[in-house]
Amino acid sequence: MQNKTTHSLWLVAPAAIMVAIFFLYPLFFSLYSAVTLEDGSLTLAHLTKAFSLYSNDILFTIAIVLASVVVLAILSITISAMIVLSPFKSLVSLLGLLYRLPLFIPFIVTAQMMRTFLAKNGLMNNAFVASGMMTPMDTISFLGWTGIIITFVWKQLAFSTLLLSGAMAALDQNQIRAAQNLGASRVRILFHIMLPQVFPTLGVALVLSTVTMMSVLSVPLMIGTGTPTMMSADMAFRVNSYGDYNVANALGLVSYLICSGLAWFYLRQSLKDKGATA
Amino acid sequence: MLAKTKFAVLATLSIAPLMNAAHAETVLNVASAGGQNMVDYVKTYLAPKFEEMHPDVKVNVVGTGPGDAGSHKIYEKLSAQKGANKATWDIDVAVVHQKMGGEMVTEDLLAKYRNDIETGKLVSRSSAENALGTNVSGYVMPMFHSQTAIAYNSAFIKNPPKSYDELVTWTEKNPKAFGYNGIKNGMSGVSFVTGWIYAYGSDAKTLSSTPYNKANEANWSKAFKELKEFNKNITFTPGNAGTLDMLNRGEIFMGPVWVDMFYSWKDQGKIPPTMKLSLIAPGMPGQPMYYVTPTKAAHPELAREFIALATSPEVQAEGIVKRFNWYPGIDADHVKSQLDAATWKKLFAEITPSDLSKYGKSFPIAPYFNDIKEGYEQQVSN
Repeated sequence: MQNKTTHSLWLVAPAAIMVAIFFLYPLFFSLYSAVTLEDGSLTLAHLTKAFSLYSNDILFTIAIVLASVVVLAILSITISAMIVLSPFKSLVSLLGLLYRLPLFIPFIVTAQMMRTFLAKNGLMNNAFVASGMMTPMDTISFLGWTGIIITFVWKQLAFSTLLLSGAMAALDQNQIRAAQNLGASRVRILFHIMLPQVFPTLGVALVLSTVTMMSVLSVPLMIGTGTPTMMSADMAFRVNSYGDYNVANALGLVSYLICSGLAWFYLRQSLKDKGATA
Repeated sequence: MLAKTKFAVLATLSIAPLMNAAHAETVLNVASAGGQNMVDYVKTYLAPKFEEMHPDVKVNVVGTGPGDAGSHKIYEKLSAQKGANKATWDIDVAVVHQKMGGEMVTEDLLAKYRNDIETGKLVSRSSAENALGTNVSGYVMPMFHSQTAIAYNSAFIKNPPKSYDELVTWTEKNPKAFGYNGIKNGMSGVSFVTGWIYAYGSDAKTLSSTPYNKANEANWSKAFKELKEFNKNITFTPGNAGTLDMLNRGEIFMGPVWVDMFYSWKDQGKIPPTMKLSLIAPGMPGQPMYYVTPTKAAHPELAREFIALATSPEVQAEGIVKRFNWYPGIDADHVKSQLDAATWKKLFAEITPSDLSKYGKSFPIAPYFNDIKEGYEQQVSN
């Protein structure tokens, strides 16, 4: 028995050491540097500075992420419901292929793509102008906060739809058929039978998407213009321009708190659900 | 298997990949900060030339990223190796920005090599002696000098603004037609803001060559307030290239750009030929990039030879001026004789040498520079 335990410890060791060195150590180091001075004494100076300079950006980041998550939730529920409930199988398989595409495109490529697509005289507006739906004078640029939301939603949609439609497809089909037999409409089946059951999956998809969006640097840098901007851009600027890791880490601490707040909310929710069924 | 044996196996496995590198030919490590065009220059132009002269040497070029951040990475690496008391450091030649160049000299990371090489005598710019307040004489060789200026579309603008005052009036008459990239998305915007402070805060000479004195910043808040007003009449662009992109698509008609990028894009047909440049009064900053070699470079001799090649009049003429449209790092007279008149004229077609000497300024010394950027964050964008 003893032997078996050491065996499994050996198996775990490489992964555990990797996590400790490359994740836990940097994490605690950055948290430490956010709240200490050079000599190691505790301080709130970095956090105060972060708030005095970037309070607008923090609010902006939260607003952008929230808006994206809401749009994301609506779209991914719609698409996965269509995939699972639609009677037109060939259309569904086409949709299934299309929505997966963004999964394979990195954020920076997406950002570059959107930059040429959403600009004032970009591909989208030019197409409208060429088709006679608009004159060049009416076009507006979507580069800015709208562009950031569009890019985030476009990119994350694949991921959250993939999770959600998988969960929906795995539901007990008998329930859905039973509801159909009793005359429930598709919309009613979606809201009363399917959604309540896939709610935890939706939560996972949205929480993970939030964390991803908080950490993306290329999108606010390439699509966002001027101010306010997202916190990741501020952190990069702090390090690149002033070599100031403390305030950058203080900002990191703030975004860490936002994410862990969400994680806590989600964990509590899922524990409650589990507690209810157990 | 015994736990000890397993440990030995694991240890061997993890060390094995590191041992392969030991058998290669002499490798000269060159780290270059700066945009992709600079890394390309070192990688595709300088390195093959050097390898041709030294068949047993392989030049390993690493790009560390654009802007001061790129230079900062080189600094961090050298500083860490110094802190660890390593006998030799793994960078032989580095290309760094002016600000970090000065700091690296202060921290004793760089070798004083300029008198060891022939081309050291050809340097005449003041930036080779003084890097934003730090004396760097002997430690650096300027690779090139780059300048920011205002680009405008001459098809629509017949009389471009000649000064910041005229530019402000122009943007009031033509709202949203001027665009720049703020200060977080690239140096052309930072440079525009610095020029603004030179115009309405403190003059360039005080900020770039006298010791730091916070009292000089007394009237900056007024300048920032006016800049905040000014920002209402303009369009924000997403970066150095973003400004040129928007100029090209006709979304803006004027904006600050790097002169070398401007010429390269014009050469490649990425912006219309009607685009022109104007260096406005009282001036906008530009900066050199420096060739430096660390105190404990593994191959100090080769490093010096590499820099000597890179700063020779032939390479400066063919590579720096002709191919990449930068202003030469060594004295222009030595480069001029190597070039045909047309190429030389093209370099000064938009901005005359006299404008360049009158309005081409340095960036401020580091503490002022940080105060400008932080002041902007606090008073303009917040």
